[in-house]
Amino acid sequence: MKLLLRLMQIREASIFLFILLFVGCIGLVNPAFTSGGSLGLILKSSMILLVLAVGQSFVLITANIDVSVGSTMGLSAAVCGMMLTHGVSGSLSVAAALLIGSCIGAANGLGVSFFRIPSIIMTLGTLGIVRGYMLFYTEGKWIEDIPFYFKKLSSAAFLGIQLPVWIGIIAAVMAYLFLTRSSVGRYFYAVGDNEAGARLIGLPVKSITVLAFTFSGLSASIAACLFVMNIGFVPNQTGTGIELQVIAAAVLGGVSLSGGQGSLFGAALGAIFLEVINNSLVFLKVPAYWNNAISGFLLLLIVTGDSRFQLWLQSNGKKKQQEQENMSRSKLPKSGEGGYEDKVVL
Amino acid sequence: MKSFYRWEFFLLLIFIVEIGIFGWLSPGFLNVNNLLFSMNDFMFISIAAIPMTLVIISGGIDVSIGSIMGLCSIILGVSWSHGVNVWLAVLIAISSGLAAGLLNGLIILYSRVQPLVVTLGSMFLFSGLALVISGGSKASGYEGISGFPDTFVQLGNGSFIGIPNPLWFLIGMTAVFCTLLHFTKYGRSVYLVGINSKAAFYSGLRIKWISLSTYILSGLGGGLGGILLTSYFSSARADLGSEAVLPVITAVVLGGTSIIGGKGSIAGTVIASIVIGFMQYGLQMIGLTSEQASIVIGAMLIISVMARQSSYQKVIQWFRQSKTDSSDPTYKGEMR
Repeated sequence: MKLLLRLMQIREASIFLFILLFVGCIGLVNPAFTSGGSLGLILKSSMILLVLAVGQSFVLITANIDVSVGSTMGLSAAVCGMMLTHGVSGSLSVAAALLIGSCIGAANGLGVSFFRIPSIIMTLGTLGIVRGYMLFYTEGKWIEDIPFYFKKLSSAAFLGIQLPVWIGIIAAVMAYLFLTRSSVGRYFYAVGDNEAGARLIGLPVKSITVLAFTFSGLSASIAACLFVMNIGFVPNQTGTGIELQVIAAAVLGGVSLSGGQGSLFGAALGAIFLEVINNSLVFLKVPAYWNNAISGFLLLLIVTGDSRFQLWLQSNGKKKQQEQENMSRSKLPKSGEGGYEDKVVL
Repeated sequence: MKSFYRWEFFLLLIFIVEIGIFGWLSPGFLNVNNLLFSMNDFMFISIAAIPMTLVIISGGIDVSIGSIMGLCSIILGVSWSHGVNVWLAVLIAISSGLAAGLLNGLIILYSRVQPLVVTLGSMFLFSGLALVISGGSKASGYEGISGFPDTFVQLGNGSFIGIPNPLWFLIGMTAVFCTLLHFTKYGRSVYLVGINSKAAFYSGLRIKWISLSTYILSGLGGGLGGILLTSYFSSARADLGSEAVLPVITAVVLGGTSIIGGKGSIAGTVIASIVIGFMQYGLQMIGLTSEQASIVIGAMLIISVMARQSSYQKVIQWFRQSKTDSSDPTYKGEMR
């Protein structure tokens, strides 16, 4: 029991347990969910959300928010697709897309750090600008005829794992190592936890903020390339509304919106969990229009439950501390009733 | 003279310049009737933005407002198609909007999770429920329920002494919420909760009730917006208003409300939403799609906030300084 409690306190572990439990339950109802390639397919399709959530976490950890990732993803996908259909080589198209995404992210970061525009407003503005510009760029048309070799990349496998999954894993691991094992990575937490304090001890707060938004933009364009690979065409609405799903995934994974807290693995697992929920309903023979209601309900349930659980832990810890203080003061043996109550609580 | 420097005045100035420029670019734009009735297109945004101003002033945010619109619209449609009187159905829709807002507020208070996260979750929940209701009843998901009686359709399309009904609606709502926010004790306490909720708590305000009530009002705004949209399109759909969140928040912020709370006004929100709406209409008349027009609106949002934060204030200060310096040196004491 204690081990379980301890595990619940680590958000990554609890969300992982949730995923296993959820997959297990669905698998019991419909074995087709766990057998065959369906889990692999879900994993592959969740990579777009995963990469975006990892990028968004940088921004959230610095106590900002980036709602422009959906439109950035749309424009990057359009650029990548447009260049591919015009016969430009795959690597060059991908590089162009990544560059555009990073530039939009950096612009967001500059606005937030140097012009002191609240991040939600800055990125709301760029959301409109980039989405509108994408429609100018594509002239409102869908981009089709992506060369076959590029589409085939999505099913290219190495060690039995497909390329998109590799990209997602590598991006997440690299970002994780950067954030936790380098000194610059720790700065992100410092800035998010206490910006004024971070400035006082001489951290480059502004550069860190710009960097966080650049990573978020970069992640949006990586997701865009994955999208072009997986889907094979670029509709006008690419990425519309995904920003809210991304934030939901990160929050589900324990990244705090008030900054300074959370891990990239949590965010990545949150993204996978959301995708698993979305895809599992088919296997339960629930009509697809239940998707949003159920994922919304689960998000509320988990976030509320987690918050109450943490509050309970805090008050429990305080109670125990008080009890110990009382005991050491009076040096009386613990009453039977109190002990009994303790057991019930646990 | 003080009101001369207010942000609302600057917005009015933008509005006049905007009308002038579009009138110059496309002469058909300046037709008063056209202008008035084109407002029906974006009135639901103004109406949802007014209560949202209260939410943001008190330090919260409600991103579920678009979903509430869709939910109320489909509830109205489904209950009407099941034989309920249309006005009773409107009442049911409004009360479900209030209930949605209440749910938001209660979860935020109970869980102590940030409003953005909670309303994000309820956004999925409400839009999902709307889809479930429309999918569960015979009406197929995206076609919607139509064929409403004429009296109801007139609500969003008709006019009274030359002014379209939605505009009357807006005027009434502005009056009510202006009074509520700027001239009542409740309104002042909303500001105080946004500035410093601890201070508000220690000064004996019922901060829980105040923040809860702002979410209920926001739900009401979503419900009214949804009903207006249903009447305007004379069809009830689950996805009505699904794109409304960002314009609504843009209108509130452009209207001078601080996103971290404690500052803002109803008049600013209303003027800003009209500025945005006419911008979209004007750009459409020039030949852009509404999505392409979002370039201008996005840029407007960023530049206005940037200007308000830095240069606009400095310019005003400079103005005041030069004026007071030249005319009356004793006046300086009143300067901030």
